Amino acid sequence: MKRIIITLLGLIYSSVTYCQEIDMKRLEAVWAKKTPQTPMHMAIELYNQKLYFSMVPFVAEHIIQAETITPEFEKLIEEVVLKTGTNSLAGVDPKHLVRHQSPSLNLVLAFKLFQQEKYKDVAKLLHTFSPKHRFGSEALMMLGTSLQFLDQYSAAESKYELCVSTAGDLESKAKHERLKRYYAIIKESCQTHLARIAYKQKDYQRAVLQYEKISKNSYLWPYLLLERAWASYYLEDFNRSLGLLVTYRSPLLTSYFFPEAEVLTALSYHKLCLWDDVMKTIEQYHQVYKSRSDSLRGFLVANKDSDTYFLQLMLNPIESGEKLNPFIRNLITQIRKKVKFSVDLINYQASREELERWKLSFEKHKSPLSQSLARESQRSVSWRTTHLNHFIKQHMFGFINDIHRFSFELFNIQLEVMSNRRDLLYKNQTLISDRSRGSLDNVKRRTDQHFYQFTGEFWADELGDYSFGLQSNCELVSRIPANDKKKGVK
Amino acid sequence: MKAGIILLLVSTLYQTTSFAQTESNDPNVIIEYKKYESFDLGNLEIEGQLIAPGDLTVQERERRRFSRNLFERYDFDPETKQDIKTLR
Repeated sequence: MKRIIITLLGLIYSSVTYCQEIDMKRLEAVWAKKTPQTPMHMAIELYNQKLYFSMVPFVAEHIIQAETITPEFEKLIEEVVLKTGTNSLAGVDPKHLVRHQSPSLNLVLAFKLFQQEKYKDVAKLLHTFSPKHRFGSEALMMLGTSLQFLDQYSAAESKYELCVSTAGDLESKAKHERLKRYYAIIKESCQTHLARIAYKQKDYQRAVLQYEKISKNSYLWPYLLLERAWASYYLEDFNRSLGLLVTYRSPLLTSYFFPEAEVLTALSYHKLCLWDDVMKTIEQYHQVYKSRSDSLRGFLVANKDSDTYFLQLMLNPIESGEKLNPFIRNLITQIRKKVKFSVDLINYQASREELERWKLSFEKHKSPLSQSLARESQRSVSWRTTHLNHFIKQHMFGFINDIHRFSFELFNIQLEVMSNRRDLLYKNQTLISDRSRGSLDNVKRRTDQHFYQFTGEFWADELGDYSFGLQSNCELVSRIPANDKKKGVK
Repeated sequence: MKAGIILLLVSTLYQTTSFAQTESNDPNVIIEYKKYESFDLGNLEIEGQLIAPGDLTVQERERRRFSRNLFERYDFDPETKQDIKTLR
C-alpha cells in the first residue's frame, strides 16, 4: 500500500514538473546582460526552474572562467553532480576542476582519474576529503579502493571501515527509500572490499567472516555466494563450496547464472576425486548453456552497432526479451540491480522530460535562446542514450565472453580428469568408490553456523547455509581383475 | 749430362728384355697352391675380459605428466574496480 502511495506521489510530482512551463522572459533577461557573471546567473536561473541538464554547460563555463567559486555556487555544483551524474562535468579540463578546491569537483576528477587507473593521483586528491560531506561515503570507498590497488592494505581497510560506518549513518538518516538503498549498497560494497582484501592476503577464514556480515536481503548477496564459495574452496572445505554454489539452483535465484560458478563446482568435485560428477557438470554446461549462449551471441552481434537497441530491450516488458533468448531475463534482472544503471536511467528519463519542456517552449517563443537551449538538451539526451545503451551492451557481451572463457577452463578440467583416469589405469589402480555417497560426518561447520538438511526444497532462510556431505574419493586401491571380482577375490 | 741419360735408357731397355726372356724361357713350371689347411681354435689363446650382466634389470620410467594449469582465483580485483566504475 505504502509503495503504491509513493509511486502515485512520484507520478504526480513528475507530471507537475513535466507540465511546468519554462519562464523564458526571466532567462532572456539574464542572458541579455552579457557580463562575465552571466553563466553563473544562467545556471542559477535554470536551477530555479528545475532545468538541471540545461544548466550543465553554464556551470562548466563558470568553473573554467571564474577565479574562485562562492560557497553558494559550490552547493549548486553538488546539486548538478547529484541530479545529472558525475559524468556531466567530467569533460572539463582537470586543471580547472582541481584549482577551485571544491569537494564535488574533486570527486568528479577522482572518478575520471580512477577510470584512467591513476590510483596514486586519486589517493592524493581524496586524502583530505571530509567523511561528513554529502559525497563522503563515495569518496571513502574510492580512496580505499585506490589504496588497495597501491597495495596499502591496512590504510585501505581503515578507509573501508570508515566508509561502512559513514554510509550506514547516511542510510539510517535518508528519508527516501531509493536513497536508503543507495547508501546501503555503498556500505555493503565497502564491507565486500574488506572481505576481498582478506581473500587476496590468503586469509580465507577472515574473508568468510567478513562476507557473512552482509545481510541476505542485500542486493549484492547473490553475487557474493560465489566469492564465499571460492574462500571455502581454498579452505579445502569443498562440501561447503558446493553447498554455496547449489544455492544458485534455488527458484529465488534463477536470474543469477554465473559461468564461473560451474567451473568452481567442477573444481570442487575434482578435488574430491568425484570424476563422474565433474564430467556431468561439464556435460550439462555444454548441453544447456553453450547452445543458449551461441543463440544469444547471434542476436547481440546482429545489433552491436545500434545506439538504442539494448536500451529499448531493457525498457520493453521483460517477457518480450525472454522470448528472444532464455538468458535475457537473467541479464535484464542483473543489469536493473546495478546502481549505475538505476541512476543513469533516472537521469535519462529526466533529461527526456526536460527536452519536451524545451520543445514546447521553442514552439511558443521561437527565440534564438530557446532554440539553442533545446538543441543543447537534445544533445544531452542523445549522449545519455548512447551512454546507457553502451553500458547494457558491455554487460551483455561480458556475459557471452565469460561463457566462452569458462568453457575453455572446463575443457581443461575435463582433460585433467581423463589424464588422471588414464594414469590410474596404467598403474593398475582405481579409486575407492564403494563407499556411501554422503554423510553428515563430512560436514564441517563452526558453532555459529546454521545447519539444515536439504530435502529437495529450497527455503529462503536456508539459502547460503547449505553444505554437501560428500566424502573424498581420492583413496587409491588396487584394480581387481574382472574374473577375480566375480569369484569374490579381494 | 747427355751421356748419363743415354746410359740410363740403355740399362732400362736391357733389364726389360732379360725379364721377358725368363718368362718365356720356362714354360714347364707348374705352380701348386695349398689345397687344405686347418686351424685348431682350441689351442688359440685370446687375451681379454668377458663382461656380462649378473641379472637383467630395466629401470621403470615415470610417465611424463603434462602440467595443466587449472583455473585459480587469486583475487577479486576486476570486480572491485567494476564496483567503483558502476557506482555513479
